[in-house]
Amino acid sequence: MEILKYSEEHRKFREKLRGFFDKEVIPHADEWERSGMVPRSLWRRMGEEGFLCMHVGREYGGAGADFLYSVIVTEELARTRQTGLAAPLHSDVVVPYIGSFGSEELKRKYLPGCVSGKIVTAIAMTEPDAGSDLASMRTSAVQDGDSVVLNGEKIFISNGIHCDLLVIAARDAAVEDPYHGIDLYLVEAGTAGFEKGKRLSKMGWHSQDTAELLFRDCRIPTTNRLGSKGDGFLMLMEKLQQERLMCSIIAVAAAENILSTTMAFCREKRDFGRVISRSQEVQFRLVEMATEVRLGRTFVDKLIADHMEGKAIVVEASMAKYWTTDMVMKVADRSLELHGNCGCCEEYPVARAWRDARVMSIFAGTNEIMKGIAAKFMGL
Amino acid sequence: MCAASLSLEDTGSIWHPSHHEFGCGGDFRIQTMDFNLSREQTDIQKAAQEFARGEFNPELVLEYDRKQEFPLPVWKKACELGFAGLHYPEEYGGQGLGILENALVAESFCRQDSGMGCALALSDFGSEIILQNGTGNQKKKILESLAAGKGLMTLAWMEEGYSPRTFSTTAKRRDGGFLIEGRKSYVPLAELSRFFLVLCQAGDEEEGQTALLLVGDIQGKDVSVRREKLGMRMVPMNDVSFSVQVPAENLICGEREGGQALESFLNAIRIECGAMGVGIAQGALDRAIEYSKRREQFGRPIGAFEVIRNRLSDMFMSVVMARHILYHAALSMDQGKPEQRLILMTKRAACRAALDVADSALQIHGGYGYMTEGQIEHFYRDAKALDLFTESGSRQRSLLAEEITSWRS
Repeated sequence: MEILKYSEEHRKFREKLRGFFDKEVIPHADEWERSGMVPRSLWRRMGEEGFLCMHVGREYGGAGADFLYSVIVTEELARTRQTGLAAPLHSDVVVPYIGSFGSEELKRKYLPGCVSGKIVTAIAMTEPDAGSDLASMRTSAVQDGDSVVLNGEKIFISNGIHCDLLVIAARDAAVEDPYHGIDLYLVEAGTAGFEKGKRLSKMGWHSQDTAELLFRDCRIPTTNRLGSKGDGFLMLMEKLQQERLMCSIIAVAAAENILSTTMAFCREKRDFGRVISRSQEVQFRLVEMATEVRLGRTFVDKLIADHMEGKAIVVEASMAKYWTTDMVMKVADRSLELHGNCGCCEEYPVARAWRDARVMSIFAGTNEIMKGIAAKFMGL
Repeated sequence: MCAASLSLEDTGSIWHPSHHEFGCGGDFRIQTMDFNLSREQTDIQKAAQEFARGEFNPELVLEYDRKQEFPLPVWKKACELGFAGLHYPEEYGGQGLGILENALVAESFCRQDSGMGCALALSDFGSEIILQNGTGNQKKKILESLAAGKGLMTLAWMEEGYSPRTFSTTAKRRDGGFLIEGRKSYVPLAELSRFFLVLCQAGDEEEGQTALLLVGDIQGKDVSVRREKLGMRMVPMNDVSFSVQVPAENLICGEREGGQALESFLNAIRIECGAMGVGIAQGALDRAIEYSKRREQFGRPIGAFEVIRNRLSDMFMSVVMARHILYHAALSMDQGKPEQRLILMTKRAACRAALDVADSALQIHGGYGYMTEGQIEHFYRDAKALDLFTESGSRQRSLLAEEITSWRS
């Protein structure tokens, strides 16, 4: 019995999406990896086709679709050999903050653009001195009449260059308790005092526009705050569950993809005059990898079902994020080994997959933080 | 404390024990095992470390890695200072030192920077075959040039779908010399090398292998595809096709003796790669220790957290174990009693240490570790590339299995 109940509509959606990726994404992936960004028009095309923010209600231009559509987009993106089109980050990590905590006015103003691809979003939490220790962030938000003035520096922000709208976490220095002094605000690109820094060069995710963002006396209306004053940290905690789940979905899909590529390679190529997959050692390795991928798939599908039922899966989502992201790296690493000399050559897809997989145990909360959260909620 | 200021004694201290003799006191002393480097060896180590600190500018390193180029000026300087061909006899321009000393230099270079270190260590790729099998003239001509920085060398032996017994590239006797025909893959530094050693099948009938030397640009030697690489990017690799007539004097060792030469070359490269791996691992560890002391989260240095501390211990342990195997293996070669089992373990042990330690170091660096400017990500890529370089761990494991079971599969 399948854990997730995909309907005929889901299947049709997946097919249509695949066709779109095959035609408009995959052929350009190498070019975007070199240029360091995907073209802006791609986001618009995604919006036109209805592949962004499907969960947003019809009253704001969305489809009011269930979470499985997000799962489908995320899984299919793992096949595209590029990371610049970070649709899950936009649709399922950032925009939900606006949908859940934004005022009616903010939702009417921004959500339709998020759905159409006219607006690309990002979220800024990490700072040079506040990584794992999120509560120690120093970017300040000071109330001044009807506006709030932001000052500070954010780093490693995905979609940082493309973003038109940013959810930023900042601290009210007047509040002593670090957990109650954080608020989330919406900042539009182009607001005076909001400067996009350089695009950062990374080990992988080359087509992803990760950047530094700088705020110098950046003035925004107070009404751009999400939720009630002082609830920022709580909102983050609530939404990070889905972010961790998204990471697990990406990790498992990527691992499946790497595994199938490697199986095909081992069946086709010869080493020492023999087809690689005829080696007992290689067979056992592939079986071990396939087993781990299956375990990951089963676990994650179960969590997706639980998440859709609205169950609290804080512990499980943390476990899944750490385990699946470690797993995909292990699978990528063994795959490179099975590729031998070819593994070192970028023309083979596993080389990029290996570089790309490595960040997953770091972003969206390091795997050490995941274990810490799980330990805490397990009463340890 | 910054990475550059770390001295060898900080973390390499197991090679400088305060007690120079093992024993129970009195007259009863066991002196057959000496784990100390000599004064001369530590001086070499120090000189290499100092050179690397001075010349491997961090920004320059990133630039060469990005451009995927061999660092010619740095290599030239290293040659001028005598770091190349350390183990060649003095009459051929070397220093007359051993494989262990050579390994110490490669280790120190890679410790300072994995990319530059690998590039310099592989600048005379294949010279071992000349050293062990060349005639006096060949040695003089080639080794002297290599040591003086007048040319790079490479060995073309791998082929796509390579099998160790039969190459598709052939060297047939013709017109008093040889005609080389075929195509080699994954040839390091092919586009830059002045000396080009090619391993060919001797004839049509699978009768052993012949090693032939090509010097300079030669018509019929076509360096084609340049591979974009995952790691060790300062050592570009090419595919090379041949349709070349070479004179008989370019034969290295006897005809059909190339296969044996390759095996002993592989032993040398296992040590060389072992040294590179140990250096990469140590360099990654240096950086992880330094970063975990400096980086503060939750009100204290991350190095104060138990899991990080224990992880650093594991990393240190990996480095030391790999280094023990490496030094022991290298010493056994210098003493003329090569320990084949140790030699077969060296590359694998070192690459595993390099990979595990660099992986941990990257994780400890967090988001910064994934960024190019964090410097550690290229150590990690280079560790992986080194593991995949020349021969995979599985071949060494199968050869080791033959050694310990005395049973060929």
